[in-house]
Order: sequence, then C-alpha cells, then structure tokens
Amino acid sequence: MVSKDLYDAVLNGEAQKATAATKQALEAGAAPMQLISDTMIPAMAEVGRLYESGEYFVPELLLAGRAMKSAMELLRPLLAASGDRPNTRVVIGTVKGDLHDIGKNLVASMLEGGGFEVIDLGADVAPERFVAAVAERQPQVVCLSSLLTVTMPCMKTTIEALTVAGLRNQVKVLIGGAPVTSQYAKEIGADGYTDNASGAVGLVRSVVSAA
Amino acid sequence: MPIGTDLLLHEEPEPEVARKHGPALGRVIERAARRWGTPLAMPLMDLRLEKIDLLTLAGIPEHEADGFHFDTAIAPSALAALCRYDAPLFRAGSLARNEALTWIDTRTNLIPVGMTIGPFSLMTRLLADPIGAVALAGSGMTGEDSVHLAQQCLQMAEAAVLRSMRSQVEHGARAMMICEPAACTAFLSPRQIRAGSPVFEQFVMEPNLRLKRFLDHAGCDLIFHNCGELIDSMVEDFAQRLHPVILSLGSSRRLWEDARLVPEDVVLYGNLPTKSFYSDGAMPVEEVMRRTEELIANMRACGHPHIVGSECDVLFVPGAADAIRAKVEAMMQVAAPA
Repeated sequence: MVSKDLYDAVLNGEAQKATAATKQALEAGAAPMQLISDTMIPAMAEVGRLYESGEYFVPELLLAGRAMKSAMELLRPLLAASGDRPNTRVVIGTVKGDLHDIGKNLVASMLEGGGFEVIDLGADVAPERFVAAVAERQPQVVCLSSLLTVTMPCMKTTIEALTVAGLRNQVKVLIGGAPVTSQYAKEIGADGYTDNASGAVGLVRSVVSAA
Repeated sequence: MPIGTDLLLHEEPEPEVARKHGPALGRVIERAARRWGTPLAMPLMDLRLEKIDLLTLAGIPEHEADGFHFDTAIAPSALAALCRYDAPLFRAGSLARNEALTWIDTRTNLIPVGMTIGPFSLMTRLLADPIGAVALAGSGMTGEDSVHLAQQCLQMAEAAVLRSMRSQVEHGARAMMICEPAACTAFLSPRQIRAGSPVFEQFVMEPNLRLKRFLDHAGCDLIFHNCGELIDSMVEDFAQRLHPVILSLGSSRRLWEDARLVPEDVVLYGNLPTKSFYSDGAMPVEEVMRRTEELIANMRACGHPHIVGSECDVLFVPGAADAIRAKVEAMMQVAAPA
C-alpha cells in the first residue's frame, strides 16, 4: 500500500481527505498508476467485501465511490499525459425509455473504483447510441441498466442491435436493475447479470478474463 | 388483492386516453376492484404526478418533468412559492385521478382510495444524486451544499404531497396510500442509523408524521406502502408511529416475522413477488401458488390480520401481460376462501 491515508479515506468515504491524501502521495513521489493499483483498488475491494458481508450499504458504496472519484480527478490527467490507461473499458447506460440512473451511476462509480475505464452514456440510451459507442470506443464490456419492467425489453433490442451491427462478438454484455433476473439475462442472450453494484466489479473481471 | 389497476387499464382499447379521462379511469378502477373482489377501489399507481404538479409551479413543462433535477440552492422566495399549500393541481393525470375518485365515490359502493408518492421518495426524484446527499447528511456533513439542497427539496416535496392529498380528500378519498419506496436501505444506511444518525427521523419520519396528522384531521385512513429493502426498526417506525390501517411491504420481508413489530390493529398487506411475474423462468405459476400457500399458512399461524396481495404495483408489460395475469389469477385462486 502506497498511502494508508488514501486507503482509509476511500474506505471511509471521505472525499476531501482522499483528495488531500492523493496530493500528499503525489508530492512524495508516488506514481499515479501505483496509487490506483496498490491503494485505491484494494480500498474499493474492501468496500465491496464489507457490502457483501452486510456491514456496508449502498450509501457507503456511494460515498466510497465519490472519494475514489475525487482522487481520480487528480490522477486522470497525469495518467493521460503518461499514456497509462486501464486495461478494460466499459460502456454503461440505462436503456431507452428509462430515466432512472441512480443504480447505473453507482455501478459506474464502483467500476471506476475497480480500475476500469468507464464511458457513461447516461439514461434513456437508444440502442443506436450503444452501437455507436461500441464501434467508436471499442470497449470490452457493455453494461445495460433498467429499473422498470416496461423498459426491460429494450435490453433485448439493444443486444439485437449490436448483433445486427456485427459488434456482438466483440463485447460482453452484462445487465442489471431492480426487475432483472439471471433467467432474463439468459433469455435475451446477455453474458451476465448482477443484482448489486458491488458485484458488478467482480462480474466484469470474470467475463473479461474468460474472454 | 393485487394493486393491479394498470393491468386492467391496458385492457381498454385506448389505455392512454383512459388514463387522462376521470370517468373512464374511474370505471377501470371499479373493474379492478370487482375483478378481484375487494371493497377498496385502488387507484392507478402513477408516482410521477406530484413531481409534475410541483414542477408546473416552477414553470417546468410536463414533458421535461421526468428528467428534471434541481441542482442549485433555491432562493427563499422561490422556495416559499413552491411550498404553497393552496396551489391548484394542473396536470391531466392529477385531474383525472381526482375525477376518478369522485366517480367512485358517487357512483359505486366501493371505498375510494387516493394515492400519492411519499415526501422522501419525491425528494429523491428532485435531485440528480439523492443517495449522495442523504449519505452526507447521515454522516453528519450537514453543511454541504448538496445536503442543504436536499432539505429544500424535501420541504417542496412535503408541500406537494400535502397539496395532492388535500385535493384527493376533497374529491372523495376515504383512505390515502402514501408510497415511499425510496425510504429503504438503498437510500438510507442502516450503518448510519444504528450509529445514531437522525437521518431517517429527519428525512422520512418527520414529514410523514405531519402528513399523517393531516389525514387524521381529515378523517382519512392511511395505507402506507414501502416495497424497498428495510431493516426492522424501519418497519417498526412505519407500523407503530405512523400507525396506518394497512401496511404494505415488499417481497424482501417475511410478513409473519414482521407481525411481531406491527400493532394488532394494523393490517399487513402483500407481499408476493409480483415484480418478477413477467418471467416464467424466474417465477413460474407453480412457484407463485407455492409462495401464496406458504404466505397464507404462515400468516394464519401467527394470527396477524393480513390481506394477500402484490408487493407493489402489478404493471402491464408488453409481451408478458398474459404471463403476469395468469400469475395474478393463480395467486387469487389460492387465496380464495374455501
């Protein structure tokens, strides 16, 4: 671990302390990628473990994600300048017709905390926009969110759009959201499903490593 | 008795026309009550209406309401204007709901039930990052701009809900269902609550207690609905302090265990997992029947008054409507008196 202060700030969801600790670590000569891999990712992994064990809840996940994000705001420009970038790119969005984005935002936050590059398309995203994002940004993973049973069918149409565009085999498609089930994921040809934001990180890792 | 008016609305030749026409909506609500043999005329669960009406006051058109969020502190004079208790309701959906109540009250022998989103849940829809704001409030960082904005939005939300309730009571509602799905562990951390944070009290209980007092004064019964993931202390507070006539909970709760937290004169309602009725794979008819039998047996054993029902609104889903209806019918069949 490069910075205990940064680790604790992320774990405790303290964004201002995370920013201060990141500055301090950089001034002491820590490499940005090392801060991410040796401190921040382990901190978020512990956050995930505490969530899975029922000690942390969604608000704690969110605060930790915000702390991680505030640290990343300092590190991102340094990473870009040095050409360092995460190995896995994820496109995420809430499907067409659905304006709910809280769950999707939480997953995006956790994925970024897990060391992935996240391209967030927002909410009410038409299949064509997902297709365009995959064609342009070439992610390894696409995450689709839906909070309403009435908009869930748009997950299927988005997967179909990727197939028609000849892009389906290039990405793993994961789905999630309150009404979604693993059975539904299988029915529509998704590669995976998770029922919580913390689980999304492990799921992305497993589908990418299996690819 | 499922909360299933939406299913029957979609049996209409033009559901979207019926949705905005009071008498037509009233007829749909009546059909739903007769279909499932209940004296309660449960309304269409449309939890967008109070946000639409509030934003109309703020000059935001209806078609922008769903995606609109407040993002900066609201000036005191503007806040006062948005918290007016006497503002009329504007939008077609709210007007139709009121007309439907009057239709039920004057033309049927059913009990007209009103419905509104709860103040905390409405507040979450007025903010882009409600979980963050509430989490910061719960961690004691009450000086943060986002927390201040959340508190302002909660004020506006409470006023909007009160306007809605007052209007529905004036149009004949004799019971009012307050729906607070966001007042759950997704938005409110049990860790913070157990550590002594007043966040649940300040953001959920206080505004709802004020609304309960209004309903008591108006002689209108409270039906309190929360289908979110809850901890025992939340169930206890809803049941004992709000003291609704009916407490409706989601499928994550075991109602026969919750009975120990709920006064004898509060009827427990629910809580079959209707959100997954769309999927025959995840929830086949046989499983619905098994769960209904288990629920009934357990509730009989614990002796607490109970109405078998859905965990939340049973929505019409294109492509899955028949599957959903079949499971609702199966649930009702199992629950029918011998």
